[in-house]
Amino acid sequence: MTPWIVFIAAGAVTFGMRGAFLLFGDHITLPAWTGAPLRYVGPAAFAAITMPAMLGEDGVSNLVPPSPEVVGVAGAVLVVAKTRNIPMCLVVALVLWWAAGAAGL
Amino acid sequence: MAVADTSFDPVAFRRGIKAALPLVVPPIPFGLALGLVVRDSEVVGNFVGWASSWILFAGSAQLVAVQLLDEGASIAVIVLGLAMINARHVVYSAVISQRIGSVPGWFRVVGSYWLTDQVFAIDEMQPEAITTRQRMWMMLGAGATFWTVWQTIVLLGIVAGGYLPDDFPVGFTVAVLFAGLMVLSIKNRPGVVAAVVGGIVVIATRGLPPGTGVVIALLAGAAAGAWAERLLEAR
Repeated sequence: MTPWIVFIAAGAVTFGMRGAFLLFGDHITLPAWTGAPLRYVGPAAFAAITMPAMLGEDGVSNLVPPSPEVVGVAGAVLVVAKTRNIPMCLVVALVLWWAAGAAGL
Repeated sequence: MAVADTSFDPVAFRRGIKAALPLVVPPIPFGLALGLVVRDSEVVGNFVGWASSWILFAGSAQLVAVQLLDEGASIAVIVLGLAMINARHVVYSAVISQRIGSVPGWFRVVGSYWLTDQVFAIDEMQPEAITTRQRMWMMLGAGATFWTVWQTIVLLGIVAGGYLPDDFPVGFTVAVLFAGLMVLSIKNRPGVVAAVVGGIVVIATRGLPPGTGVVIALLAGAAAGAWAERLLEAR
């Protein structure tokens, strides 16, 4: 029973957060000064999710020398910037990750 | 206020599906791994584990929930933890609500349910000029695609398991996906500033409970982006 309670409660909270503004449609008008920051939520949020996933338990010590994960993500960034192609960036990142691991990084 | 035409827009719907397809690839290993974790769990049964996919529809929160349930954490602790992990969606909701205009009530409900990182990212990549109707149907096309694939993949992981080699870097594919979304969402130099500040602040706030640092970093990065935009305009 506990898992059901957890998932339903967390699901309701998550839905509430995803709908915090959207559920109220255009009845909520945010103050004008929020306009500029809201334009930059995407890059800031995605960078903030990427970093811990990339660095793992050891944190910044994985930057120098770069861990296979850091090498792979750096490659992925270059591939997406050049091609805008996510599946290709995943393939390149996995190859780089494997190669960096094999090279002893 | 006049209600805008929001009738079905097949072109925008297909555009949403098309935009979603490349982005469903990186989460596949994660979904399979989540399915495996559910299958191995002694507390979370297979059906309820799969149900988490349509109740929560949030991969990392689902994984943490199953792990915490296995560790015997209390309901309150788990729900609070998941709320923090998903708190960034409040900001996504604010962004979308300000952009999309007047939409029907059913869309507010479905759109909220489907508002994942990827759907938000796809909306971010659209030109500012698209209409409410186009934005709405594009979000629905993308959301329907992610939803269908996610339910299928997690189910596959639970039922069939073992598709992934034991040493497959699941967490790494998540990092790659979000690094990709980051690049796709950067449209100008202030966007780069936002990403750099977001990345630095999340590292600086590592000691905080999961999810908290991401929210702080997101707000700091967004503010830095706005500040950089103003500096550039003033020049």
